[in-house]
Amino acid sequence: MLKVESVTKIYGEQEASYLALEDIAIDIADGEFLCLLGPSGCGKTTLLNILAGFESVTRGRVTLDRRDIRGPGQDRVMFFQDAGSALFPWLTVEENVNFGLKLRRTPKAERGPIIDRYLTMVGLDTHRGKFPTQLSGGMRQRLQIARALAIEPEILLMDEPFAALDALTRRRMHSFLVDIWQQTQKTIVFVTHDISESILLADRIAIMGVGPGSRFEDVIRVELPRPRDPGDAAFGEIYRSIERQLALEESKLGDEAG
Amino acid sequence: MTTTSTAGRGAGRPGPAIAPARSVVERLRPLLMVLASLAIFFVLWQFLSTFVLNPYLIPPPTAVAAAFVPMAETGEIFKHVSISLVRVVIGFVLGSALAIVLGVVMGRMRVVYELLDPIIEFMRYLSPTAMIPIAVIWFGIGENSKYFLIFWGTFFFVLINTIAGVMRTPIARQRAAECLGASEFQIFILVVIPSAVPYIVTGMRVAMASSFMSIIPAEMLAADSGLGYLLQTAGMLVQTDRIFVALATISLLGFITDRLFRLLVDRTLRRYMAFVSAG
Repeated sequence: MLKVESVTKIYGEQEASYLALEDIAIDIADGEFLCLLGPSGCGKTTLLNILAGFESVTRGRVTLDRRDIRGPGQDRVMFFQDAGSALFPWLTVEENVNFGLKLRRTPKAERGPIIDRYLTMVGLDTHRGKFPTQLSGGMRQRLQIARALAIEPEILLMDEPFAALDALTRRRMHSFLVDIWQQTQKTIVFVTHDISESILLADRIAIMGVGPGSRFEDVIRVELPRPRDPGDAAFGEIYRSIERQLALEESKLGDEAG
Repeated sequence: MTTTSTAGRGAGRPGPAIAPARSVVERLRPLLMVLASLAIFFVLWQFLSTFVLNPYLIPPPTAVAAAFVPMAETGEIFKHVSISLVRVVIGFVLGSALAIVLGVVMGRMRVVYELLDPIIEFMRYLSPTAMIPIAVIWFGIGENSKYFLIFWGTFFFVLINTIAGVMRTPIARQRAAECLGASEFQIFILVVIPSAVPYIVTGMRVAMASSFMSIIPAEMLAADSGLGYLLQTAGMLVQTDRIFVALATISLLGFITDRLFRLLVDRTLRRYMAFVSAG
């Protein structure tokens, strides 16, 4: 269980400080798929960076299985939107996956089968000798997923991983990710500003308000069976209710500006 | 001419032969255009110096070639070439090595960068030519002053590029490595340095070109051998044909060295040379 307890994040000091997150709390169960949804600048990525251990909290605490998160660890792997810069361009597909295994000192004999398994899972087993530059955007994201899964983390932290892909590739990546998630039973925390994407993927959606001092405005449980269909009436209903909530947030921003 | 004849032969053959025939032409095109460019240049030069301009001030290619033959026969030109080349290579290797080491440290350690950057920002405007008088006083007119001047010209280009390469290592890549279990030191060795390679190589190429520019004034002002010295003595005796031989040799030498450097990089560092774009 990943537990976030009244987390507040303030950047800078005194007058120059910025209150990014205020009193955020949520329990994320093992194997759950949680989406953090909100307008840009609402602190979604900040929260994700805190979960990853890249940033510290100002107040509150974050624990994984009752242990404090003090820094990055192999139990949590972060995914980046820009796979091009997150991957190692001088290593082949296979070597990118091998990178984490080498660092963990996985015995050489075991690495081969692990690499095979995850490259097959993401459909890149026939491209193992290629370099990331020779892959399409979707394939690069799949390689990022294989590289992460190979070190067997408990939690995948994904920062708008599909935002830069074209619509068709994105749809394919959505069903692909749900498949992988169902196969591997990982906990996923997925940041997005796309309402449809969050309904398609998540067990629960945490809606974040605009900053400064953004907090969870609401946490919605999506009960629709998978695979989900955006044309479905129930899907549309959830979509409209989230949209209303976000519009409310936008108007708040407008009032402040006015 | 070559183009039409090849395409014609290809067109006469049955279907599949056409495509390869065309692609051969396409592949040869850059080479053919270079040859055409050179041919036009030399013919025009020959014509202008013979019939329009003063052939004494601008000797035609045939006269330059005639001046080159005895210089090659006696080995004079090759002696100067090898002397200049050795000076460039030694200064370049020393300058690059030290600049890479210091650049990597400055790119990674903020205090070191903050303390050294202001000094470097001032000193980089001192061209090797400006350093000639002091270099001669410090090191004499022997080899050491040439090594120093080439070193000076190389150092700043490579240093500034190395710092930039280290600093621009994508934060996402470093964090990804951290998630995969890399320590601070492992991130530095396994991620930051490989990411900086394309920048370092670019800096070295610029430095190489600048080395060939700085060796000439250094040898003109303070040497008794090398291409700059050859140029200087030919100038004093107003031997324009020998001046042109020296100029052509300098161009050719710089060009060939750059190509060799690129070939070497391609052979050894190819996989590090890819800049990956977003998406």
